[in-house]
Amino acid sequence: MSYLNKAALRSKTGFWPNNRGTIIGVALLAVVILIVPFTASSSMMNIAVFSMIFALPAIGLSLLMGLAGQVSLGQAAFFAIGAYTHAILLQKFEMPGLVAAVGGVVAAMLAALLVGLPMLRLRGHYLALATLGLGFIVMIAVREWEFTGRTTGIYGYGRPEVFGIPIDNNGLFFWFVAPFVLLGLVLALNLTRSRAGRALSAVNDSELAAESLGVNTYALRVKVFTLSAGFAGLGGVFYAYQVQIVSPQVAEFHVSVELLLMVVIGGLGSVWGAIAGAFIVELLSEGLRDLIPAIIPGATGEVQLIGYGLVLILVIILLPGGLYQVVKTAWAAITSRIGARRADAAAPAGAAALPGGGADDGTAEAPTRAFGGLPGEGAASAPVDGTADGDAVGDGGHEASAPVPTVSVPVPAGAPILEVRGLTKRYGGVVAVDEVTLTVPAGQIMGLIGPNGAGKTTCFNMITGAIAPTSGTVSFLGSEIQGRKPHVGAEAGLTRTFQNLQVFSSTDVVGNVYMGRYRKGRAGILRGMLGLQGREQYRHEEIAREILETMQLGDVSGLAAGDLPFGRQRMMEVCRALASEPALLLLDEPMAGLSGREREMLATLLRRLRDAGLTIVLVEHDVAQVMALADTVAVLDDGVLIAHGDPESVRNDPAVIVAYLGTDAEEAEAELKELEEHA
Amino acid sequence: MHRAQRRLLIPAAVAASIALALTGCGASNFGGDSGGDGASEEGPIKIGAVLDITGVGANLGVPEQNTLNMLAEQLNEAGGIDGREVELIIKDNQSTEDGAAKATTQLIENDDVDLIIGSSRTGPSLAMRPLVEAAQVPTISVAANAAIVDGSEWVFKTAQNDLVVLERILDDAEAKGYTKLALVRDATGFGEGIADIITELGSERGITLTATESFEPSATDFTAQMTNIRAADADAVIIWGITPSAGLAQAAYVQLGVDKPVYQSHGVANDAFFEAAGPAADGVIAPMGRLLVADQLSDDDPQKAVIDQFIADYTESFDSAPSSFAGHAYDAWLVGTKAIEEAGTDPEALRDAIEATTDVVGISGIFTMTPENHSGLTADALIMALAEGGRWTLYEE
Amino acid sequence: MTDFLQLTVAGLSQGSVYALLAVGLIATYTVRHVVNIAQGDYATLAGLGSISLVTAGLPLPVAILIALVSVTLASVLIERLVISRVKNLTTLVSIILTLGVSTLLQAIMLLIWGAEGKRLPAFPGSDLNLGGVSIRSQELWMLGALVVVGGGVLLFYEKTRWGKALRASAEQPVAARIVGISPAVASVIAFAIAGFVGAAAGVVSSPIYLSIWSGGLLLGLKGFVAAVLGGLVSFRAAIVGALLLGIIESYVAGYVASGWKDAVAFFILIIVLIIRPAGLVLRPNAVRV
Repeated sequence: MSYLNKAALRSKTGFWPNNRGTIIGVALLAVVILIVPFTASSSMMNIAVFSMIFALPAIGLSLLMGLAGQVSLGQAAFFAIGAYTHAILLQKFEMPGLVAAVGGVVAAMLAALLVGLPMLRLRGHYLALATLGLGFIVMIAVREWEFTGRTTGIYGYGRPEVFGIPIDNNGLFFWFVAPFVLLGLVLALNLTRSRAGRALSAVNDSELAAESLGVNTYALRVKVFTLSAGFAGLGGVFYAYQVQIVSPQVAEFHVSVELLLMVVIGGLGSVWGAIAGAFIVELLSEGLRDLIPAIIPGATGEVQLIGYGLVLILVIILLPGGLYQVVKTAWAAITSRIGARRADAAAPAGAAALPGGGADDGTAEAPTRAFGGLPGEGAASAPVDGTADGDAVGDGGHEASAPVPTVSVPVPAGAPILEVRGLTKRYGGVVAVDEVTLTVPAGQIMGLIGPNGAGKTTCFNMITGAIAPTSGTVSFLGSEIQGRKPHVGAEAGLTRTFQNLQVFSSTDVVGNVYMGRYRKGRAGILRGMLGLQGREQYRHEEIAREILETMQLGDVSGLAAGDLPFGRQRMMEVCRALASEPALLLLDEPMAGLSGREREMLATLLRRLRDAGLTIVLVEHDVAQVMALADTVAVLDDGVLIAHGDPESVRNDPAVIVAYLGTDAEEAEAELKELEEHA
Repeated sequence: MHRAQRRLLIPAAVAASIALALTGCGASNFGGDSGGDGASEEGPIKIGAVLDITGVGANLGVPEQNTLNMLAEQLNEAGGIDGREVELIIKDNQSTEDGAAKATTQLIENDDVDLIIGSSRTGPSLAMRPLVEAAQVPTISVAANAAIVDGSEWVFKTAQNDLVVLERILDDAEAKGYTKLALVRDATGFGEGIADIITELGSERGITLTATESFEPSATDFTAQMTNIRAADADAVIIWGITPSAGLAQAAYVQLGVDKPVYQSHGVANDAFFEAAGPAADGVIAPMGRLLVADQLSDDDPQKAVIDQFIADYTESFDSAPSSFAGHAYDAWLVGTKAIEEAGTDPEALRDAIEATTDVVGISGIFTMTPENHSGLTADALIMALAEGGRWTLYEE
Repeated sequence: MTDFLQLTVAGLSQGSVYALLAVGLIATYTVRHVVNIAQGDYATLAGLGSISLVTAGLPLPVAILIALVSVTLASVLIERLVISRVKNLTTLVSIILTLGVSTLLQAIMLLIWGAEGKRLPAFPGSDLNLGGVSIRSQELWMLGALVVVGGGVLLFYEKTRWGKALRASAEQPVAARIVGISPAVASVIAFAIAGFVGAAAGVVSSPIYLSIWSGGLLLGLKGFVAAVLGGLVSFRAAIVGALLLGIIESYVAGYVASGWKDAVAFFILIIVLIIRPAGLVLRPNAVRV
């Protein structure tokens, strides 16, 4: 079983020579590319050539939409900038072909960086329509500008020779452009599996959670936007090279629509799909141009649009995953059939990996065995046994000997790690949090309690950066972080979990916890694309797995995170937060939805983490739990901090009792007692 | 069968199929013979055409397409040229420059054509020029702007030069005593350089250009341009564009209450102008070929016979009268096929033969080409026409 | 001065079309959180439809009425057949989907009515000339349509119980249910309003700006720009923004260069989005977690 896991792990970590699927796919595509010019008819060849050219911007757009989750309706703008720059450098400045080509790509990327910096702060509809506006601006600019040849455009520059070979026919040109598409494909595939790529897809699932783990969403989006424009620019360069004229039509909206269509048909976020989509759209365009006038006499003009519109609607409604989904489903069906045949011969080893698979052999219930799945390696790598001094509370029994995840201890116990001064949040006339001032000493568990609507979560959100305070300061490890995005605090070692679970549903449980390792990673987009970070990723996944084992989630590590029962999702979130080796952990109602056994386990773990040096602040409804667990307790009522001290003194504070249970203090105390006993 | 054998089977099959593919389909995607010089002297004569069949130039391209199809059929029924069949390959450039370039590249690289006709408008024609020059394929454009042929060895054209059209307009303006003109022009290649020509021609005639505005061929709102034209307070206005935009501009001009006389170009020489402009068209004067006023020509006009025959043929085939643009295509076909008859399909010889065209009576005029003049028409080819009650009438002082 | 006023008049009449489309966009956005890219195509569809009916011999008012009703129904049909079919209507999906609808509508119009722009006969009335500034009677019709139709929608959403419930249905389905509107019904009503408003913009502007199959996209986008000026929620700000946009465009076309006219809206869009993403009238919304 551990062997199976490692194989699965390797296929995900992305150093591409390790990935058989990619190698086979790329090799097959290469063979097809080699053959096509010999077999294709001249009209088919023409389609093949343009689908290769448009595959490049489509790959870029697919990265942008799939990874960064942004719709761009202006991809043609960057395509056009690449094409125009190439043509102008050749025609007006008589640069060598290579220089002009590089110039085209660089110009597209620079333009994207310039407009991306302000525009990528926008969200949703706004960004999509801003990119659309950008497309129109570029189209109008090249149409009106003398330098870009106005309506007629730039022409008469010829095709530079490549290594002394004149590229003067479709066959040679196809071979010229195809390697770039293959290379682009491999780079893009690598990127989707890289640290940055996985971070971006986590952002798509939950931006807040990803940022709380240290992902600088904005910076990553700008980078992907720029990269995507680079692909578009390269496509534009090849277009200018092949067509030998660049006129304003290349920037027109329908080009952006075609590119979008390619990505949608191929499957949002699938790089392979973008290439297939490019071919299908080119084919569709040519085919419909012939077909529709044959069906409807007298039809002229851009009749292929009817197909575009229908396909866009139908794919989104009936087949949201596009071709990629179809192929994946078909492939899964085939492999499962083959797998089943093999499994008849071999032992039913894979059964435990099925959802709810613990039922037949009980491995899920044997944590020690699960942890033993990686013998020898656990001790060698990251988890350091922080409880070596053995003062763990003994009620956890079998967990006592298990190591706890590594934590960082930047300041000695007792020194202030988090200082909140005058923190205030107003929504219109409503004051949600009013002048809260609080110091959290390192190495303690602090409980933050208060009735519903007291402002606890708002406090958390202001401390972590999810929302900006109206006034006041938040100082973590001596630097002020109020109003900064969550990744700022996260990078310094402040992380959190959420009251409403923020699970990365597009990946499995290990994938979630792996994201916790984000702040410990280094590799950027470039290394990711080149596939030079397999080792690093492998190590982080290993650590993520070990943390899951410690938390008795090892048996579900391969499942989709969204499929877990609620309680285990919550535990997974804690694992994810711990994976970042935090110095300060904010837990928002961590006990809610947990079973009694799970609560016990979590409480034990939190104590041991505290003993290892971690500072923990938890918001909790379960007052009894907090009182039992916390070293100090702070009480919020109606946005105001009404009490702060050790559990005993807070428990007896009349103001707290009133706040919790109404006006009659004694009655309230009785109820509180009852509640505690009940728990 | 042994396992090892089976393992060899698949690569062998792949290799075999590649080999088959190699020999099977020939190397058509690698250009066959390179360039246009390999055009064969055997088999059918291939004439390519690149026209604005869809998009903003469709009013021009569609009648041109009709004409070429009709003429090719007629020619082949009559036995082709020297017993060789004529194969006509028409491609739509969608009224775009890059569409024209793509279509031209295909005609040259895949279809190996001997002669190219097109495009319908100036912009796409300009886009084709470097391609056909590099490949050395004789080409006859049916668009107007002189820049298409200026200094070109391989490109000719049959539409009247903008220069001679403007000469006619300015002559008329001078005769009427106008001294200030304003121009509203098409923003594309057709309208480029027009202001300069007017300024130059006007300086000899004491006429100045006081305002220039432009519009896209796809435009429908002309209020801003016409407001500025109104403010320019010229004696007369030249609207220089193609239909439908030039007709819509005419309508906007009248709607804004400007009452100065309007000259239009030969770009409105069709009935579509009246559809777009409506009653606002009345009183517009435009220089154009004789085709649209054929019924008003005197019987001794040297072009009358040719024009009447063309109108009769075209009307029979397509149930509508031909426009001037159909005439440009007729002329391109006429000049081109005459030259092939004389010189065959060797590119150099064919080009020389086109260049030697002398006194060929066509629809738009009588063509005489020289190495310096690839347009072939003089100001005599034009008449002045007046828009009246939804049709063009012969207008002379 | 005459020119300035002439350009202002032209800008106001163009702006009134943008304003109606902006009203339609906001009507659907407040209820469904969908930016309907096909909004402008409703206008061309109604324009072309009424032209065909007039050509077929129907009196102008009848033709217009039929066109208004049909496009309203078409919009409802689009909501039922397309928009409501998607369960998880994310921003990305809604944009692709309405773009698909827009493309499809355009293609259908191209097939039925051909590539050329067509003109509806002008509404009755005689053109004015005030001190050299010519005002076409159709321009008064356009402004009138904005006041009646746009104002009507505004009052409906802001003053009536149903309208308020409709607005609330996006955020508080329960509140809407109390008035008796299910989210599905609310969505249908919103699309019906959007269809009607778009169609009104289309028929009233056709005599001046013509109706052409591909014209809707740009019109709708400019309506969107105006709607953004109102933060996608305020009808009043959007209408004012639309009229301003029309006027600015007109000045740019008149005093700078007519070719740049269409770029103006997008420059404004990008600048406004970057400086004040919540629109010109509202304070930025707080992020809720």
